[in-house]
Amino acid sequence: MSKYFFFFLLVPFLCISQDFSDDDYIYLKRHEHIKISLSDDKFDIVQNITEQGKFISSKNLYYANESIGYSSFSEIKDIEAFTYIPSTDKRIEVDYIETKQEFDNMIFYSDDEYKSFIFPAVAKGAETHLNYKRIIKEPRFLGGFNFAIHVPTKSAQLSVEFPKNVEIGYVEFNTESIKLEFKKEETATSNIYTWNAYDTDGYEGEDDSEAAMYYLPHMLLYIKSYETNDKKVNILNDLSDLYKWYVSLIDQVDTDSLENVYKITDEITSSLDSKEDKAKAIFEWVQNNINYIAFGDGYGGFIPTGAASTCETRYGDCKAMSNLLYEMLNHVDIEAYRTWIGSRNKPYSYYKVPTTSVDDHMITAAIIENDTIFLDATDSYVPFGMPSAFIQTKEALMGIDDKNFKIIKVPIQKSSQSKTTITSNITLENSTVKVSEKRALQGYDKVEFVSDYIYKKDSKTEEEYLNTTLALGNNKTNYTNISKTNFDNKGIPLILEYDLDIDSYTRNIGNKIYINLNIDRSLSNSDVEIKDRKYSKKIDYQFERDFTTNFQIPEGYYASYIPDEISFEDPNYGFKISYARNGSVITQSKSIYIKTLSVKKDGFENWNRFIKSLRKAYKKSIILEQI
Amino acid sequence: MIKKIAFIALLISTTSSFAQHFRTYDWEKNPKLHEINKEEQKESSIAILKKHIVEYVSNVISPEPKLYETEHTIIRVNDDNGIAQHNTVYIPMYEVRKVVNIKARTISPSGKVVLLNQDNIKEVSNVEEYGDFKIFAIEGVELNSEIEVLYTVEKNYEIYGSQTLQANYKVKEAQFLFITGKLESNVKAYRTLETFEEVKINGDNAQLLTIKDIPGMVEEEYATPKANNIAVVYQCFTEGQNITQNMFWTNVSNNVGRQFFPETIVSQATEDVNKIVEGKTDLTNFKKAALVDIFIKSNYTIVKNNNQELSDLNYILTNRSSSDYGILKVYGQYLKALDVEFEIVITANRFLTKFDPEFFVPGMLRDFLIYIPSEKKYIAPDRFEGRIGEAPFNILGNYGLFISSDFEHYFSKIIQEDPDYSRIRRDMNISFNNDFESVKIEQDQDYYGHWSETSRAVLSLSTEQGITEYKDYLTGSGIEDKEILSYEAFNTDMNQLEYNIPFKVKTTISSEELLEDAGDSYIFQIGLVIGTQSELYQETERINPIEMIYPNRYNYEIIVNIPEGYSVEGLESLIIDKSYVARNGEKTAKFESNYKLEKNKIVITIEEYYKTHEFDLNRYEEFREVINAASDFNKAAILFKAVE
Repeated sequence: MSKYFFFFLLVPFLCISQDFSDDDYIYLKRHEHIKISLSDDKFDIVQNITEQGKFISSKNLYYANESIGYSSFSEIKDIEAFTYIPSTDKRIEVDYIETKQEFDNMIFYSDDEYKSFIFPAVAKGAETHLNYKRIIKEPRFLGGFNFAIHVPTKSAQLSVEFPKNVEIGYVEFNTESIKLEFKKEETATSNIYTWNAYDTDGYEGEDDSEAAMYYLPHMLLYIKSYETNDKKVNILNDLSDLYKWYVSLIDQVDTDSLENVYKITDEITSSLDSKEDKAKAIFEWVQNNINYIAFGDGYGGFIPTGAASTCETRYGDCKAMSNLLYEMLNHVDIEAYRTWIGSRNKPYSYYKVPTTSVDDHMITAAIIENDTIFLDATDSYVPFGMPSAFIQTKEALMGIDDKNFKIIKVPIQKSSQSKTTITSNITLENSTVKVSEKRALQGYDKVEFVSDYIYKKDSKTEEEYLNTTLALGNNKTNYTNISKTNFDNKGIPLILEYDLDIDSYTRNIGNKIYINLNIDRSLSNSDVEIKDRKYSKKIDYQFERDFTTNFQIPEGYYASYIPDEISFEDPNYGFKISYARNGSVITQSKSIYIKTLSVKKDGFENWNRFIKSLRKAYKKSIILEQI
Repeated sequence: MIKKIAFIALLISTTSSFAQHFRTYDWEKNPKLHEINKEEQKESSIAILKKHIVEYVSNVISPEPKLYETEHTIIRVNDDNGIAQHNTVYIPMYEVRKVVNIKARTISPSGKVVLLNQDNIKEVSNVEEYGDFKIFAIEGVELNSEIEVLYTVEKNYEIYGSQTLQANYKVKEAQFLFITGKLESNVKAYRTLETFEEVKINGDNAQLLTIKDIPGMVEEEYATPKANNIAVVYQCFTEGQNITQNMFWTNVSNNVGRQFFPETIVSQATEDVNKIVEGKTDLTNFKKAALVDIFIKSNYTIVKNNNQELSDLNYILTNRSSSDYGILKVYGQYLKALDVEFEIVITANRFLTKFDPEFFVPGMLRDFLIYIPSEKKYIAPDRFEGRIGEAPFNILGNYGLFISSDFEHYFSKIIQEDPDYSRIRRDMNISFNNDFESVKIEQDQDYYGHWSETSRAVLSLSTEQGITEYKDYLTGSGIEDKEILSYEAFNTDMNQLEYNIPFKVKTTISSEELLEDAGDSYIFQIGLVIGTQSELYQETERINPIEMIYPNRYNYEIIVNIPEGYSVEGLESLIIDKSYVARNGEKTAKFESNYKLEKNKIVITIEEYYKTHEFDLNRYEEFREVINAASDFNKAAILFKAVE
């Protein structure tokens, strides 16, 4: 009898529940309860975290590794962790927890730490149980919660309990993809908000797609204000509170001993007249002379190093570099502001969430003849006047003075600013294709080439490096006479010239020679795998490429076939390839443009049509026959 | 009288401790930039000096000598990459008893000297598995400046040590100064013709190795550059002690043997073993070892942290967590319980270290394997994607210390018993649809050995995207418009009980782009059906000896069905024959492709193999030709012409 009872209970459960049986590890439960208390104008904030995971298979026991990260603004307490084996009803405690310091190649020094441990005796069927408290010391860093993470979660719950005289703000992101239940409760003194989501899928990142936070269903929470003695005290009620807090940190910047900074500024600008020239000279000096080294050290992670120190040590993080620019520009009377900004990895807007989650970067904004110029010297190769590519489209929070700020969106840099022109002359000598080619690279195309060349060439020879990066012709392409001009000169195009010998490139079949003038097949393999793809395709910058290829028909031959013009036109991307005959020379004109920073999922089919059509055009050969 | 002798002895020791070299060793008072030539200016960075001083000092208070290590480097940085490589300094505090001093300075092209502000030295603790560090950023670095770092640490006494003298940038002068005074010592240098010179440092015996103009180590394909750096190993004994290499090895064998060859089986292990064999009594040694390997890899986690208990057998058996060292005890218990004779092998990853049986330094003893002599097979306990079989590819070719159950030891090169262990068999059937609109390729493939291990691991453990990319590889990479019509894989479970069971995959793909319309004919780019093959470049002189990942073999049969009403031309591009003949006359590598016309079929056969993973550096060109033959085949194209 009891069997039937069980069965009936089980059925509705199965109907609404996914079983995730293909996964190796899932969370049965991930619950976070935040308790906010307030006494004598001091917040006491504790997150209680409860997690329960389960091994569905024993394929990947790596999930037994657990780490709990925290910065100097929080503290981890009362960790209780154990493995539970349902089949034997055994519980095995975690008896060893290590504290380790965060360390990665991107950040030179950080005071972030993590608690690291392993769940013991895990195997198929084992459950991992974890409870701990996180004490939040800075009320502006309430943080957020992800309803979905890299593995599936059966029950994800966020709850926040706060005194009735406190107001909190919360913003949902990407929750349209899940069913999120919300409930408000109250006790005599507190409000409790609870959000529940069930059976959320595991999320995996994809190449060339936006950062995970653009997709993960999550919530950001913050304390807006509290009332005390009939007075309202704002914490992060709106953007002006965030700005006020930033100003209080900026007030702590060391502004002493700037003589040397001013001396250098005067030296590099004294011979220049216009503000633009001066600003350019200052920007390039910082780009060339200050080495980027990232630090993350408590409030030091928010307060820029003083300009005098940055100038002396010749290194600094984004804040240090932007602060030095700020001091130097203002010294020569160029209107310049310290500016907070999020990189394209951050999906947030200051207007929607007035918290530090929005930004992760600092730059300087200068106003020259009514133009706002965004200066980011952490990119050592970007030309003056262009922002670093990774902050395009983002809101820049410009600090005007102690009270006033302004938000301006960093404009998308037009494709014409990153235009590369390629001119090639091709001849055919004894079935070897000989090419002399000249490339003029500008804008982000140049920035990318220069920084890759400097940092990724390693011990490769110049020939090998170009061969693997440009991938021209076939894998028998041989480079000679390589020259680079204006490599260091940021404002003007980089000229790259070389000669190529390409063996086994033409196909001689019967008495015909087939030669394909598309030795550069840019974008040919950039189609999107639509079937399994989940997220939009991110493009780093807009660009244009214009090719002119002149082919000298060898003596004794004539071109019996020249391909027709092919093009694909869309406002966001497209190409055109056409051929013209001029005596014994055939000229191919090819232009490609990308005028968008993102291809959304519903645009994939059109994008793939574009790539397919481009590949089809790339396949077209000229046919030569003997006269 | 005795008192007097003691007094004199003490006096001598104190004097000699005043004479410690590191106390007087210093950098130039008034530094100037060093001259470098034009070629050197083109490099991102070069070391003007890379000096290491290892100083053992007899200690009156304890029998253990004191150990001081001094590092002194001067690096010229010529571009942003050079600056980025050298403007942050990490000093490991592993086994460091005391930091004697740390200093650093930058000498700019204008001669300005910026000293490191000592307050900016930061400490990081317990970083991954590397321990603590002192770190700092170099101050005042400009292009073309020199970064000079000098520090001395006192370390806990260790008998042995090693030092790499070569770097991935040029070193104009490398020095290794080994000061041992009256203590017995040994020192050996690898991969250099220079020899140690006997010198006296403040009256103490010392040996100095100076090497000028060491080229920067380059990354090359089919090579183990990290393991090929010029390096030094050394040993220095306590007073009156002298240990031979054989004594060291015997000591290790006894220690290791005692820990891993159990006398008794603990009850938990017996219980586990009963579960493992499930009552079967007729299992071969191979099957028993395979079952043990599968059980351990499905139930234990290998952990890298400082928990000492992870090497304790009972703790490991209860918590099912172990250090990479402790897990061998579990193998020992299970194999002994099942009566499987085994040996412990201590060796090293050949991509990082070349194991030297003639000089003992624990730094070379990094990897443990279990060898089953009756089967001539290995188990790699810490490779959770691997299962019993031939030696792991990263160990192959290195020497190992083999320890048997009686704690006796011997050295042997770790070889692959079956040269055809890793191989791919591939059959393709190619036909054309709708009058040459598209090509259909049916493929039937078997992957053996390391190929099968990788395939199973990727498909079982990788991310969705990783799996998609691997399927692309399995169905023929580089065919840009490829459409996968069917895909079926067999024997995909990582846990296999039989030796070298192939991973099988059957697929059908179609592509339009492999065909090109050429007036009244069609060009078929048949060379691309074998997937993109990379070309091996060598514009500068090859430096590293040739070492492949593992020996392997490919056997392909490609059948092309000629459509009715068409003839075929250009078949000669399918004939390629390149081989590498070893000194003993044996053909050890080859790529051979050929074809036969059988009625309306072209039958193409490709045989490519590498019977060993090591090839002669002097014959690099021949090796390269064999490797590149596959990419030559990529360019093969045939023409279908309508029969008039």
